[in-house]
Amino acid sequence: MDGAGSTVAVHAARPDLLAFATRHRATLAAVAVLVFPALLPFKAVAADVLVYGLFALGFNLVYGYLGLLSFGHAALFGGGAYACGIVFTRFGVPWWAAVGAGVAGGAVIAAVIGALAIRTRGIYFAMVTLALAQCVYYAAYEAEGWTGGENGLRGVDVSAITLGPWHVDFVNPLTRVYVIAAFVVVALFAVSRVLASPFGAAMEAVRENEARARACGFDVRATRWLAFVLSGAVCGLAGALHALTIGIVPVETLTYTTSGLVVMMTLLGGMGTYFGPFIGAAVFLLLENLVSLWTVHWQLVVGLAFIACVLFFPRGVWGTLLAGLRR
Amino acid sequence: MSELGNRALTRRRVLITGAAAGAALCSPAIVRAADNDIRIGFPVPLTGPYGTEAQDQVRCAQLAVDQFNAAGGLGGRKAVLLSRDDKLKPGEAATRAIELIEKDHADVIVGSLSASVQLAVNNVCKQRRVLYNSISQSDQITAMPDWSPYTFHEALTPHVTAGAVGRYAFPRFGKRVAFLSADYAYGHEMVAGFRAVGAPLGIDVVADISVPLGTTDFSTVLPRIAAAKPDILCICNFGRDQHVSIKQATDFGIKRTSRIVVPVLLYTARVAGGATAFDGVIGGTSYYWGIEKTVPSAKAFNDRYRAANGGRVPSDYGALGYGGVYAVLKAMKEAGTTATDKVIATLQDLHYDAYKGPQFYRPCDHQSVQSVFIIESKSKDMADQYDVFNVLATDPPNVDALMSCKAEGHA
Repeated sequence: MDGAGSTVAVHAARPDLLAFATRHRATLAAVAVLVFPALLPFKAVAADVLVYGLFALGFNLVYGYLGLLSFGHAALFGGGAYACGIVFTRFGVPWWAAVGAGVAGGAVIAAVIGALAIRTRGIYFAMVTLALAQCVYYAAYEAEGWTGGENGLRGVDVSAITLGPWHVDFVNPLTRVYVIAAFVVVALFAVSRVLASPFGAAMEAVRENEARARACGFDVRATRWLAFVLSGAVCGLAGALHALTIGIVPVETLTYTTSGLVVMMTLLGGMGTYFGPFIGAAVFLLLENLVSLWTVHWQLVVGLAFIACVLFFPRGVWGTLLAGLRR
Repeated sequence: MSELGNRALTRRRVLITGAAAGAALCSPAIVRAADNDIRIGFPVPLTGPYGTEAQDQVRCAQLAVDQFNAAGGLGGRKAVLLSRDDKLKPGEAATRAIELIEKDHADVIVGSLSASVQLAVNNVCKQRRVLYNSISQSDQITAMPDWSPYTFHEALTPHVTAGAVGRYAFPRFGKRVAFLSADYAYGHEMVAGFRAVGAPLGIDVVADISVPLGTTDFSTVLPRIAAAKPDILCICNFGRDQHVSIKQATDFGIKRTSRIVVPVLLYTARVAGGATAFDGVIGGTSYYWGIEKTVPSAKAFNDRYRAANGGRVPSDYGALGYGGVYAVLKAMKEAGTTATDKVIATLQDLHYDAYKGPQFYRPCDHQSVQSVFIIESKSKDMADQYDVFNVLATDPPNVDALMSCKAEGHA
């Protein structure tokens, strides 16, 4: 193809390509999630990127799609991690059931926090979620017999996984990443399905104009609550996978800094975009990991990068890229 | 509009180029081990509230590595220290430890500077059957269910430290004791240690108050303590908390009626807090450079440190970094291999004098049996800026001072 012709062709093809990508976003995201760990030399960080990407995906349901800024998502992530770790270490249930318990744990905590917090909006919503998440943190901190308190819960050790005829070694770095990636792919498809459903449209309607959504007959409060619970389930899954990856549940999973971290990752990737949270998590964790190997002043470098992103890419890395393609 | 768009594009290019250049610049600076090297993973909190201690631990650990390499290594194989920032977070430390084992193929992990972090690293190493030598205090790491045959503990335990300080202080200063502790594992374990040693000595606990970690205002609890009229005030906290609480207790006038005793009197906290606030405070330590007058290995270690660090002296927790790496490398040299099971077998029988006199690992729980020094902070007759403590007594290495193997859950 020669120069002039190809430019025209690209311009014409672009909307089609974008439409195609939007239609098959879950499949494309799944492919990215499956290819990414193979490319990265650091498998432990790759697992972290998947886990925190999933966490940010769940957070983005509430922040990006529902328009509510929560500062209490650590309670959902940590709650899922503790639910998974406690049933695994204390009751000896199989690892897959523990993951299920993590999802349920995240959803139940979200149901309670959500029921109390969705009455408020804006800064009040952020404050109420933060306060309730701190309650969960202190409860876990004090309940030493169950959670290990300040020392964290140890012994969430999954060494081998047996699924029917297959036996896989979970300690093997690559295997571990792909077991986690499998869960992430399932979650990606589920979230994509929810966003494409009438309920997904209702969420965005509530975000765009609450009064109009109510006038159109949507139950705003129920929509918000359900979205918050869904977000809790996704974050709970992320927490459970985190516990299985590192073999412990540290109490820091429940601290407010973890809530802040997920806000930062989502903003960095692009709020309200489907795949942005994963990009945000990848950028943040890789940057932190590489720079901290190089200097003890890594926070300065990461902070500057974050400021640069906020100043120059207000839509986040992925959001800016998408906006550029649409232009 | 288009002009704005162009500018944004240029700026973006600049940023992208900058990021790429940054990434390219940082890569060669990372220490990379050659295939044949002995790799020592060293996760410590280089950033955060214990950064000062952790950076000193790296300096000291590097001394042990340099010393080993200068002596010819292990049949020509050099050791290399791979220090990583665990940010004082257990989750971060676990990830760093996993990566040190899986990606950097560390032969052994030494490090960490908090109970929760060392338990996290221990969990990772235990699952992957990698030898781990912990260099910070914890009672739980040597007890079941956390302990494993791959776990070694070079640092003291709260039980031993509080025991040594209690045995020194309770008979001398009185039986009425008040506890002021930080409300987390470290504080609880230290108080438990003091109570265990105090019970047979007949102490009377007149107050037991815990305050949250990071408390900066002790004005509400100090009157309650003063009203209880204790002979001894045991302050069980760490780092900045220690220096803040001691300073406020001094200002409040507690010292007029009571003796302030702490389980671990930190060199770095004393240097930061100043002579007046700490004057007369008594505590325990695993190491103080001043023991060099009587301990030859301490003199050799201090001199090596001074030569490498412009005449300064090593801190207590820093020295643990040296001891932890020294013991492992010595065992590797004696075993003639880095194979984990052989190194473990050698370490179990190892009697070593790294920097503070004779030490050995107790077979049942791999706890390093070592001396504890009782020190007193001074404000007069200081020879130089490093001369901050008097060594009052030395508790020699003694297996009976440790928690019994049975109490720790070992068969």
